[in-house]
Formats: sequence, C-alpha cells, structure tokens
Amino acid sequence: MRWEFARRNPEGAEFMDWHCTRTEEQLSDFLEGALPAAEAAAFSSHAASCADCSKLVAQVRGLMRQIEETPQLEVPAPLERKILDATLGPRQETAGTQGWFGWLPLIWQPRFAMGIVTVAASFVIVFHAAAGDNGRSVLNPLNLLRGANRQVHLTYARGAKMVNNLRVVYEIESRLSAQPESMSEPIAPPARPSNDGQPGQQPPANDPHEKSQTIPHPSHHSTPELAEMNLQPHFADGSLYPAPRSTL
Amino acid sequence: MEPDAQLVQLCLRGDGPSWEELVRRHTRRVYNLCYRFTGNAASAEDLSQEVFLRIFRTLGSYQAVHGAFPTWLTSVTRNLLVDHYRRTRRDRVTDSMEDTMPQLEEKHSPMRAPDKLAEAAELSEQLQRGLARLSPELREAVILRDLQGLDYGEIRGVLQVPEGTVKSRINRGRIELARVLDEMGVRPAQS
Repeated sequence: MRWEFARRNPEGAEFMDWHCTRTEEQLSDFLEGALPAAEAAAFSSHAASCADCSKLVAQVRGLMRQIEETPQLEVPAPLERKILDATLGPRQETAGTQGWFGWLPLIWQPRFAMGIVTVAASFVIVFHAAAGDNGRSVLNPLNLLRGANRQVHLTYARGAKMVNNLRVVYEIESRLSAQPESMSEPIAPPARPSNDGQPGQQPPANDPHEKSQTIPHPSHHSTPELAEMNLQPHFADGSLYPAPRSTL
Repeated sequence: MEPDAQLVQLCLRGDGPSWEELVRRHTRRVYNLCYRFTGNAASAEDLSQEVFLRIFRTLGSYQAVHGAFPTWLTSVTRNLLVDHYRRTRRDRVTDSMEDTMPQLEEKHSPMRAPDKLAEAAELSEQLQRGLARLSPELREAVILRDLQGLDYGEIRGVLQVPEGTVKSRINRGRIELARVLDEMGVRPAQS
C-alpha cells in the first residue's frame, strides 16, 4: 500500500481519519518522548491498529536511527589553513625551534628513509672506489695538494717552452725580412770570421740560437716558375715555405 | 563564562591563537552544515570560509548573554546558506549530488571495519540525496535538529521563527524525508 499520509489534498481525506492526522502531527513528540503519558498511550494504541500509521512510525523511527548512525563528514585538510590565512593572513607553519626541526618527522617516512639509505650507500661506494690499491686515498687532502702543485708546475714549464719556441720563430722571420728585397740577386755569402778576430757579420755572441744564424746560401736564381709567377721566395733556400724546425 | 565566550573575548583583544582555537573547534560543525544544506563539497568549503570571514569581522557584535556561541555561529551560517540558496536558485541544477561525496569522519568510528565504513558512506549519501529533495525550510529544520543536534530553542533563535513553527517544520521534514527515502528504495534500519 502506498503512503498517503503526507499528501494533504481534498481527495486524500478518505485515506486518513482524524486520528491518523493527529498521529502524524504528534509523531516527533512521540518519538522524542515528549508526549504526556495519556496521549502517548492513545498514540500507541492507534498506531497498533492502523497499518498506515504503523508504517509511518516505523519509517520515521528508522530514519532518525539512520541519521544518528551517520557519522560526521571529515573536514577537508586545507580548510582550516585557508580560513586562518583568509582571516589572519598568510603565516608560517611554525615558529622558533619547532620550525627549524619541523622537517625531522618527515625523514621517518618510508620514501625519505629509502632515499637517505640510497645516498649513504652511494657515498660509501665512491669513497671506497677512490681509495688506491696501496691504501692511499686519492681524496686525501695532502694528495690533492701535491697533485695540484704538480699540475701548476707542469703548466708553467709548458708555457715557458712555448714562449721560447715563439721567440725563435719571430727572430727568424725578422732576420729574413732584413734580407735584400729582390731575391733574384745573389746573396753574398756571409763573411767568415777573419783570423784577426774581426767579427764581420758575425751575429752577437750572446745570441742563444747560434745554430740558426748559419743561413745556407740561397740558390743563385729563383726558380723559373717562381719568376714567371712573379713570386718571390720568402726564405733563404728559395722556397715559399720555411724550413722544418729541425734544421734550425 | 563558557570556553567559547572566553575565546571570543581574547580574540577581541587581538589574540591570534585564540582565534585559531575557535576555528578549530567549530570548523567541522560549519562545514557539515554547509555540505548537508548544499550537497556540494566545493560549495561547502567556500561557504565555510565565508562564514568564518564574516564571524571574524563581526565578532564584536556577539553577546554571550543572548545565546551560546555555537547558536550564533549556526545562525550566521544559516543566513549565509539562505543567501547562497537564493543567489544560486537560477543556476542550480536539479541534482547537485554528482560531486564526490566527502569522506566520513573516521574519528567517530575508529573501530569500523572497511565494509562498515563503506556502508556508512552509502547511508550518508542516501541521506544527502533525500535531503536535497526537501524544501529549504524543511531541510534546514531537519539538519539543525537531527544532524547538528540543536534543541528547539536554539533552532528558534537561528531561524527567528516561533517554536511551534520549528517543531512543525521538523516533524514535517522528517516525514517527508522518510517518504522520499522510501521512494528511493531505502529501507529504514531495524532496531
């Protein structure tokens, strides 16, 4: 049978008599125990004899029990923080030492603990591999200092050697540029030192590159191909290219 | 003096931690009221913030002699909910229950088994669907009485209507909700 107790319309009058209407009106008072004893007895008596009212009482009683058993909803986690930020303004989580060490509980979480173990294992492996076979660690500060000192000296020595080489090359070039402009003319052989100790065209004795001063005689004439191309040899041996450094 | 009244006095002197305590004590009440009335988790969250913002601004107007702080808080919440209801009446879809149901407070049921918790969640959702089909007047009366646990005098103070009207609305709301749940196929729990 369909409920009709809550539908008040003229056509529904035949479904409900006066007692049923009163039962409906005083239902909450009855369920909450607020009815006087006499009225409560009359209520119960009618409900026991009326199928509609009996069902109504059972339904509403079940509803109230259902509501009682319904737990409260959980408040979303950031809601309180949002409210406090909106009213008091954005603030830091904690202050003082608690703020400094507030991250400590995080390391006990499984993901952070695993990360820490992994990093520690990596450091152990690196230090173990860095140790030499004879037990001398490459990462020893003293060894690091010695290595750095050696590298500095090696770099300085290489730089000095390169500067000396450049110096020789430029000196040769400057001497060659001092030769007669026309290379077609024979170049007079260098004056040999006289027996009387005349220096002649002898270079200064203090020249550190004494061997390089002995310039070989150029050919008497430039090659025909060069003359035809109007190219002048740049070097004493009539070539366009410098002699290998080994000849210096 | 009640603890809430003491906290209010401290808040009015500019004590921030007291305000934090006041918010923590009553956030659940406000959020549950907003959710049960709107049936929408996001709206309930926004309205809860709005409620506390208004409380924060008008805290000086609260007078303990006129009623307990929770009653005043509920009254402010109810007024905002009514405003929200009127504001969104045109935009409201018939069924706003499509949102994800908020999680139930497990603190109140620490020993619940997972199936019991799921059963409670289903019960709560059914109840919410039934409440959504009530008129706002009957809905708020049932929520305040049965879900918020206010007595008739407090509800009269919140709704600003005579106590007879309060009792009538609660009674009719319960009967209507029972009928709706019956139509939804929800059978009442047996004692």
